[in-house]
Parts: sequence; C-alpha cells; structure tokens
Amino acid sequence: MSTPSAPPPCPHLTAYRLASRPPLRCLRCCLRVRPLGRPEIRREPRELPQCSPCSFPSRSSSRLYACLSCAAVFCPTHAASHASASTSTSGHQIAVDVDRAELFCAACEDQVYDPDFDHAVVLAQSSSLPLPSASASPSPALRKRRRVDYRAWAPDPAEFALMSSADPTTSASAAAPAGLRGLNNLGNTCFMNSVLQALLHAPPLRNYFLGDRHNRFICPRRTPMRRRSADADDKAACLACDLDEIYSAAFSGERTPYSPAKFLYSWWQHASNLASYEQQDAHEFFISILDHIHENIKDDQHKSHAQGHGDCCIAHRVFSGILRSDVTCTHCGFTSTTFEPCMDISLDLDAGYNSSFGVANPKLYVRNGERSSGGTNAKLSTLMRCLERFTRAERLDAEQKFFCERCKERQESLKQMSIRRLPLVSCFHIKRFEHSSVKKMSRKVDHCLQFPFSLDMAPYLSSSILRSRFGNRIFPSEASDPDSVFEFSSEFEIFAVITHSGKLEGGHYVTYLRLNNHWYKCDDAWVTRVEEHIVRTSQAYMLFYVQKTLYYKTCERATAV
Amino acid sequence: MSSSHDDAPVSPRSQFALTCFEELLESAVADVASECHRIARLGLERGVDAEEEELRAWAARDLPGAEEGGGGGNKGTVDVFGQVHPAVAADVVECMNCGRPVAAGRFAPHLEKCMGKGRKARTKTTRSSTAGRTRNNNGSAASSYSPYSSTGSANRASLPNGITDGGGSGAGEDHSNHIL
Repeated sequence: MSTPSAPPPCPHLTAYRLASRPPLRCLRCCLRVRPLGRPEIRREPRELPQCSPCSFPSRSSSRLYACLSCAAVFCPTHAASHASASTSTSGHQIAVDVDRAELFCAACEDQVYDPDFDHAVVLAQSSSLPLPSASASPSPALRKRRRVDYRAWAPDPAEFALMSSADPTTSASAAAPAGLRGLNNLGNTCFMNSVLQALLHAPPLRNYFLGDRHNRFICPRRTPMRRRSADADDKAACLACDLDEIYSAAFSGERTPYSPAKFLYSWWQHASNLASYEQQDAHEFFISILDHIHENIKDDQHKSHAQGHGDCCIAHRVFSGILRSDVTCTHCGFTSTTFEPCMDISLDLDAGYNSSFGVANPKLYVRNGERSSGGTNAKLSTLMRCLERFTRAERLDAEQKFFCERCKERQESLKQMSIRRLPLVSCFHIKRFEHSSVKKMSRKVDHCLQFPFSLDMAPYLSSSILRSRFGNRIFPSEASDPDSVFEFSSEFEIFAVITHSGKLEGGHYVTYLRLNNHWYKCDDAWVTRVEEHIVRTSQAYMLFYVQKTLYYKTCERATAV
Repeated sequence: MSSSHDDAPVSPRSQFALTCFEELLESAVADVASECHRIARLGLERGVDAEEEELRAWAARDLPGAEEGGGGGNKGTVDVFGQVHPAVAADVVECMNCGRPVAAGRFAPHLEKCMGKGRKARTKTTRSSTAGRTRNNNGSAASSYSPYSSTGSANRASLPNGITDGGGSGAGEDHSNHIL
C-alpha cells in the first residue's frame, strides 16, 4: 500500500483550477474540524446547510454539496441541474460535500480529488488537534538509518581456493537443503525442538551464527574453569554459545538426528522456574530463550532495548519491533501516544466465528446470516483479519476511563495499536490457549486460521493507521512522519510455521519449514517433505515471516551486529 | 423504507422518527461509500488480488482430517534422508550434570532428577536416586500441560549444590553429548 496519489483530474476540475486563482481559497476559510478530526465545510460555525431547490417537507439533508463558484447548496438530485443551468459561467460543476469535505464533480457525477484541497484539510486538522502535552512520551530517538547500496561480492582466487578445499559440509543434495536435520525428543521437549527448528532457519539469525559472529570457542562468558564452589555462577552457561553449537551441528552435513541436550541443560540453568519434565508452551520458551540470549550477550555500550533500539544483541536485532499505542479522548480528541518494543505479536483468534476444523466450507466469502450447506455460519479466520483486529480502534470500557490531560477529567476513550517499526523477522503468536480465571478452566481454541505465504504489513504500520485516521488525505510530504523513512519494505515471506495439534494436556508441536520453496515437516527426529496444502491445513500456533528485502545500513563500529 | 406501503396513516411523530432514521442511515452509508471511493481512487487498496489468490489456495487445500497429534505416530516413517528412527531416541547422551550416559529420549526426565528440579523435586537436593517418584519416563507420555507454568514452588529454591562441571563447558567438547 503506497502513499496516496491523486488520479488525473477530470476536465471540469482542471478548468475550475485554472479559472479560480488561487484555487479553493474561500474553502479554506470555511474548513472547520470537529473534535475527533472530522472536517466539514461551514461558512458560519453554526450554519445548518439546506438544499434550496428541495421543497419542504421532503428536504433531504443526508448528503449536501456546496458549489465552489456560487456557494449554493444542493442535494445530489439537484446537482446536475445546477451544473447545467450555469453553463454560461463555467466552473459550477465542482462542488464540495459539506459534511465530509470531499470534492464532487456534478458533470461527471463522481467524487474527485485534488492534492491542494487535501493539503488544506490536513493543515486544518493538524492545527485543530490539541497539542500533545510536554509530558507525553517522546518518540524514541531513532537514528536516521542511512541506507547503504548493495554491493555484490565475489571471492578472490585465494578465497575461492579456501572455499573449494573446505569440507563440503552443506552436502546440499537434491534430497534436502543445508541445515535440515531432525532433533531428538528428549522427553516432552517437542516445544523446544519446534522453536529451535524455526530459529535454525531464520535467515538473519542463521547468517549471524554461520557467519561466525558468535564463536562459542572464544566467547568470554564461558568459564573454562571447572572449579566447583558453593556460589559458582551457574549461569556461566551462554545460551548463544549453545545455540551456536546447534547451528554447527545442523549445518554440519550430518543428517542423523541431533540431540539438543546441552541446550536444554543450559536453558534449565537459566530459566529454573520452567525447568521440569513437563510439556511447556513453545511461545513461552521462545520468549524465554530470546530473553536469556539478550542477558548473555547484550552489549552494554549500545543503548538498551527498552529505548527501542535493536542493537543490543542479535535476538533483538532480528526480532524486535516497536509498537505504537494511541489512546484518544472521545470528548476532545486529545491523543496520548506511547511506544513499546515487542519481540512478537500475540493475536487473538476470533473464536465463535469459524466452524470447527473438520467441517469443510469451500466458500470464500460467506455473508453473515447466510447458511452454508453444512448449516453452520462460517466466516474465515485469517491472519490478516487478526491483524486488522489488532490495529482496530477500540472503545475502552466505561470502567477504564482514561484521564484526559486536556479535559482534566476521566473520559471514554479509543485505543488503537499500530506498528511503528517492523522487525527483520515477524513472529506472530496465535492465542490458542485460553485461561479463564473466572471459570477456573483452560481450553484450547482449535479453529483453523488461514495465513498467507506472502504478507504485506503496510496496512498495519503506524503511518498507514494514522493516515487513515485522518481520512486518507493526500499529504504533500511525509516529513511529518519520520517513521516512513524507515519503512523501505513491508513485504514479508513466511519461512516457518509451528503448529500444535492435540489437546491442552498432551499436545504435540511440529514445525513446517519453507526451504528453497519446498515445505518440510520437522516432527522431532522425523523430517519429511510435504506439500503446500498440508501446511495450509495445519493449526498454526506461531508464524514466522522474514522481510523479503533486507537493506544494509551504515554503522559506526567495525563489528556491527 | 418509506412508509407508503402502509395502509394505515402514519402519525407525524412516527414519520419524523422514520425520516430521522433514514437520514442517519443514508449518512452512514455515504460515509463508508466516500471513504471506500477515496481508498480505491487513490491507489490505497492493498493487493486484493494477492489476497484473493491466497484465499483461493487455502480453500483448495485438501481437508483429509486433523493432523495426527502426538509424537508417537512417526515410528516406521522414512524421513527425507531415507532414515528410520525409533519412537524413543536411542542415541546416548552424556549428562552434563553427573556424567552418566543416558538415552536421549529419556534425557529430560533424567536431568530433572539430576538437577533436582521439577515439580516433585525435593528442596534439599541430592543426587541420589529419587525413591517414591513414579513419573513415567516414557518420552511420549505427556504430563499435564501447563503452558504458562510458573512453578514458583520448590524449583526456585537454591541451586542444587550437587552440580559439578563434569559436563564440561570448555572448548572442544562439542560432541560430548552426541555419541553415535
């Protein structure tokens, strides 16, 4: 979804613009903005426009237009007659919708668009909005990331010789691509195996470890001493080192299943509260290891993750994004904005819509109320709908009244989330496990979720959400929103799906990997190749998407993350 | 929505109400129409074609039935490399805690006892065999699933002082836990 661009103007609009200099001047004086940013055209603040040709009592007032040339007000049925009646004096074809501030061409009988007019509306909207107070959270100081052009690299003869002499570890035979290797289940550890498989094939993470950016043999956090002491720092274990070991094992060319025992041991040393022979939640595990990797290898020289920078460690560099949360007072329009970093996005699965997994409903679009042949109302749950829901403006409960700094009292408010900065790898966590403290029960939501293989995140970005909040006007420049500079590309491609099958107690995790455009099912030690439709049929629990195009940025240090 | 189909005359009050409602409805519809028109004309509509294609591909998927749950359904399957594996991994792994060789498929329950963790771990950690624990060590058995387990009980107790560094954490021991 690109920035809005005006279509070529109709001849009547062009004629009007040429005729009136400066165009639309009088309109700007009449632009008034209602509290929540809705623009309207009124000559006087309390003016009540009415269609003069319409005879009382059937005077309609749902959609009224004001002629730009003579300010006469009329309804759609009388629009054509007004335009044609004044053919002697040109320019009466263009009118403006007084309640929506949209231009209308009576001759074309269609809504038309003009950048200057939109610009005027935007100016009116921004000047009418209450200014954010000084205490509002300032946006994180994102360094302006200058892009660096991609330069191709080819090995020189010495490097080429080195590469050729090396052990062909990737034995990337036609059977299977490099890095594909089963992981033994160590006893209810499918949650760990499934996440490890996804991490093993997350391109930026894989490149980092295979590119020797974290070498377990020279990592300073590993203690070489075997001294045993009461207060020995058991957390000398470095999860990044253990992960490095797993990468080496997976890409070694060896195809027999690998046992990630050491990793389990290290993780249990770090996350003692989760250390037990029990099935764990894969998502919780995922967050836990990213957290501990951060603890292990964070670079304190860099600004901390809390400020939204992703440069503290590889885990954040790959997975960290920034969410924007806007809370708007419905009374005066004052908006309070906060930013928070996030490693993944947890999405509600809109339960109650979809039929259970087994019922087949091939209809793509079923309107509410229509009955399918199976007799059940089935609206498809899709990832994009979940994201739409995530970024929808929600009215907060009356109990959760937000204290408006402008009104100086608690008011009902709207809350809207959007994505300020996309991570390199987007992880979506589908909330399938419901825990009700009220009912003292937990259950698993089995509904099927449709997810695309290619995903464009543009509609969920803060820039898009903000733009649509103010009517999708044509901005002359995006300078007002510095974030747009960073969103070079919002297109993502899926590479891993972690699925959960079975019940809440005693389910099973499996990872589907997309390598070289083939799908592979990684079920603990068993890696098999599967067709696309198997993946689409599965119950997605965690979805991993990677940015389609990676850009290089300039860095200050020689050894950048 | 006009009232002309009614035979009985409508009272002026009802007529007002009807007119009001009609206007509100028209206004709401015009709002949506205007917004959608703008989105479509300004090229803001996201790739509807791509989306429809994805939905079509999804609808065309086979629905053979739910994917079989549990890890036990794979015994005998030949993987993509042509290998077959037992249900419980038989590879021998050397425990980092006690140094004993353990079957990979039973490593987790062993480690739990070994490190003195887990729900049934005793607060005073020892490395002796855990008498009285009836936990099933079968790899495919699933104990109760606690997705947000925050076992704040004995597990958070002092780290077991029975741990040695026998497992080694230095260099050169990459394959100590994977002995074929």
